[in-house]
Amino acid sequence: MTETNTSALEPSGDPVRVGVYVCHCGGNISDVIDTKAVAAALAAHPNVAVSNDYMFMCSDPGQALIIDDIKANHINRVVVAACSPTLHEITFRKALQRAGLNPYLFEYVNIREQASWVHKGDHEGATRKAVRLVAAGVEKVVRQDELFPIKVGVEPHVVVVGGGVAGMSAAVALAGRGLGVTLVEKGVALGGRVADLDRVYPTEERGADLVQDLTRQVEGHSRIDVRLGSEVVGLDGHVGKFAVTVRTSSAAPDDQDHLVRAGAVVIATGFDHYKPAQGEHGFGESPAVVTLPDFQAALRQCPASRRGLQVNGRPARSVAFIHCVGSRQIDGVHAPQADGKVNDYCSRTCCTATLHTIRQVQSRFPDVDVYDLHKDIRTYGRGHEAYYEDASRAGALFFRFPDEEPPTFAASTGGEYAGTVTTRDILTWGEELEIPVDLVVLATGMVPRDIASLIDLRKLPVGADRFLQEVHPKLRPVETGVAGILLAGACQGPMDINEACTAAQTAAVKAAILLANPTIELDPFVAVVDGERCDGCGKCLAECEYVGALTMADVEQAGATVRHAVVNPAMCVGCGACAAVCSPRAINVAGWTLDQFDAMVDAIIAEDVGALAHTECRAGVRHIEFAVISGGN
Amino acid sequence: MAASTQQLKADVLVVGAGIAGLQASLDLADQGKSVVLVERKPSIGGTMINLSKVFPTLDCASCITTPRMASVAHHANIDLFTLSEVDGIEKAEGRFRATITKRPRYIEEDRCIGCKRCEEACTVFLEDDFDHGLGAKKAISIPFTNAIPQYPVLDAENCLLCGACAKVCPTQCINFLQEPKQVEVDAGAVILATGFELTPIDAKPQYGRGGFPNVLSPLQMERLLAPHGPYGGVMRPSDGQTPSSIAYVQCAGSRDKSLGVPYCSRVCCMYAIKQAMLLSGSLPIADITIYYMDIRAFGKGYEQFYQNARAMGVEFVKAKVARISEDEGHNPILRIERQEAGTGPEEVRHDLVVLSLGMVPAWKPSQGGLIAVEADTDGFLKSPGMKLSPALTTMDGVFAAGTATGPKDIVDAITDAGAAAMAATNYLARTQPAPARHLP
Repeated sequence: MTETNTSALEPSGDPVRVGVYVCHCGGNISDVIDTKAVAAALAAHPNVAVSNDYMFMCSDPGQALIIDDIKANHINRVVVAACSPTLHEITFRKALQRAGLNPYLFEYVNIREQASWVHKGDHEGATRKAVRLVAAGVEKVVRQDELFPIKVGVEPHVVVVGGGVAGMSAAVALAGRGLGVTLVEKGVALGGRVADLDRVYPTEERGADLVQDLTRQVEGHSRIDVRLGSEVVGLDGHVGKFAVTVRTSSAAPDDQDHLVRAGAVVIATGFDHYKPAQGEHGFGESPAVVTLPDFQAALRQCPASRRGLQVNGRPARSVAFIHCVGSRQIDGVHAPQADGKVNDYCSRTCCTATLHTIRQVQSRFPDVDVYDLHKDIRTYGRGHEAYYEDASRAGALFFRFPDEEPPTFAASTGGEYAGTVTTRDILTWGEELEIPVDLVVLATGMVPRDIASLIDLRKLPVGADRFLQEVHPKLRPVETGVAGILLAGACQGPMDINEACTAAQTAAVKAAILLANPTIELDPFVAVVDGERCDGCGKCLAECEYVGALTMADVEQAGATVRHAVVNPAMCVGCGACAAVCSPRAINVAGWTLDQFDAMVDAIIAEDVGALAHTECRAGVRHIEFAVISGGN
Repeated sequence: MAASTQQLKADVLVVGAGIAGLQASLDLADQGKSVVLVERKPSIGGTMINLSKVFPTLDCASCITTPRMASVAHHANIDLFTLSEVDGIEKAEGRFRATITKRPRYIEEDRCIGCKRCEEACTVFLEDDFDHGLGAKKAISIPFTNAIPQYPVLDAENCLLCGACAKVCPTQCINFLQEPKQVEVDAGAVILATGFELTPIDAKPQYGRGGFPNVLSPLQMERLLAPHGPYGGVMRPSDGQTPSSIAYVQCAGSRDKSLGVPYCSRVCCMYAIKQAMLLSGSLPIADITIYYMDIRAFGKGYEQFYQNARAMGVEFVKAKVARISEDEGHNPILRIERQEAGTGPEEVRHDLVVLSLGMVPAWKPSQGGLIAVEADTDGFLKSPGMKLSPALTTMDGVFAAGTATGPKDIVDAITDAGAAAMAATNYLARTQPAPARHLP
């Protein structure tokens, strides 16, 4: 059971002294908002001791202003009015900590997204709004409890879902770091999609060799437990202490489910090849139209002989490759996918894969005529451009079709060739061309796999492209919105082998960081129950969506046994649904109490910051600290 | 070695404090590894801190880079050396010994409070390298607003030794006689995050060899677009006029064998599209044209970003620019042939032109110094385990992060850095069984 140490602080002799800092954000805010006027208006607040503006509060000298004021001017509450708290809340909390102040005696007011950016044309209005928002921040921070992070003991073990190159790569990296790994693979063997590949660009290694290399490392590691033919069917708990249920359907009925306790989870479920719709460039209507993966398989099996390239038992003397099939689709031009949307993303790998395949055709069957029909050639990677150049040198003809006019294929009956591809070519000033072909190869892109059951276990974030979504596409590319759940490889978006392995090793390092110490610290913004006020009605329990976060328990209080709401702080997400239904106001989210909200609303509707009441020294403010959570879930 | 040589021992030596070096250092230090991070320039942050906004999120680059910079600067497990050069790294008995020269700033760092009074007092104006020559700085100055560390650097070559700065310094920290300092680091592994440079703007005679004032490098345009940029807006360097027609010349430094850069630089399409979008915002009536060979918007969300730019009215013209000249009013004139129109070669005048320059390595093994790893044919560091072990170099225990192994954008450099940190961690686990320093 978790203990909460809640105590009212001794009213200290020090009055509440708030420091207010208004950031210019290098013009992002100050071009619209009069930051000096905001700082001046807040200086009139009875609890504000210092109020300043500065070019970049997040910079070292900006942070130094706060630290100096805490130390020299006895500031004991801080409000920063700046950009989004997702960017810098932690920056400033750390600054408070370095100055010796409790890092939660801090309020971040977003006057960029919530004022300067949305009121660009109204400088005065934006400035007035910023004053009210900052005043509300001041009112909130004077009522702020002294909080301490929740400490969670960690399991030094990671569950990796998916046994392709990304999953194996992550597993090997984690095991090398000394962590235990359970590698869960749905199929009967490790290797994933790469096992299907003959040669890979640009190293010309064999896909099978790459898979074998990784498989050997996985199987040679005593710390990796491989579970083939298995799926994750339960994902409870939280960062540091997940409880993952792995189901192996082939096992005996009473031995199918295996509970794994893990500190982090890496998802490496990969991708599916796009399957063209019936009739898309003639697919499904003629045996002469195949996908790139199918063609690669056929090419692998085609014996070297004087009869030339044979696909499905038919000669292929002239082959057209069509790019962007299932990728870079356009509303109104392409038929929507099952979710009603088109695949508007680039699949990244198909350009080089296509040209790599063209080079194989050219070197093995130099007599085959090769046509490449594209929108853009995206051979962006290291060593990729050479395939484009070599293909062109070896005689492949390149045509560029307009976005809105994809090429079409018509089978011929009794003609010399299997059919004709018709396309408009931008490179020859929009001329319409007819290309006689024996075979059309569709460079199909990547689509997300159907992992809805895994997504539903934890409401994992999914992007508009239906791939799993990272927290920040620039700065935090492998973390999801659920702490401790990480992404590796093409489950997140199209990637090639190199990119998937890079992402996997980065996911591994993020897991290694989370599990580097015996405990993890979590933010303390969770529900806290006031035992004196709770009447045990249980309304809060009915509202709580998070299993295990809130329970009713009998507790000893003043010699009597009473029924109370009890919070598990590691499971509570601080949503506040419980607080909203508690009529005696016995349950509150730490750092976001109802008293704080009341005061913020009063400040926002007040006409004059100077007229707001002075709040006496730390009245009612508490010290809230939780015991380390170490027991099982 | 002089008696004053500082000696340090660390788990990992990271060379270069751009975004890849910063991220690799954090990913090691957050696991409890000790890191020595060495940066040649006076501030950390690399090219990313020099940008206006980043694609495809259009986040302000300063806003998202400074937290990383501050985290590194304040990390208990990271020892940071700026304005410092790694002279050489030798491998012996499974450890790496590096000699580092810390160049003088001519100020005593332990006393400087970053008040900028020296900068205000200085009377010597120099070209500002942070603004790529578009602005001016003083001979003693803090490199840029959000530089870390916030110490000024005195440019000894251009200083008049007038003493104005020393007179106003409240802590008497200016020391005109400061000498370089030597540092020796003994590390268990090395990460090279040596980064890139733009292909030189003066390389191509057909594009005027950098001699036209209104033909800019993309980083110059980043500065013009930055909220705290040199002109406070986008203006023509030649006459301060607001341009109403701006053109981008794609592949101006890449996919061009005449420049020795046959490869694609990966970022130029996206930064051109991003700048075009930002320009549409700041100069709503300006026409913006991008002359391109292929638009390579291959990253997550990039194609959608490209399509948004088209929808916003940015004009994309499939044409390779053959030549650039200028008229007497310094208006750049582009000789092009529109492949879609087929009307033959023509000359088009614009008010301002940006050459979408590519990336070349900032440090090449052929230059010598640093460390004896091998380069690939493209000049970047060789990746012998490119597919499965992307961070490997040709020397065991030495790993690469970011653009040291080829052009990359920010997210790819960050991901790469994580992989390098993981590889270095596991190398240490195999070779250095001693326990790591733990977080406090």
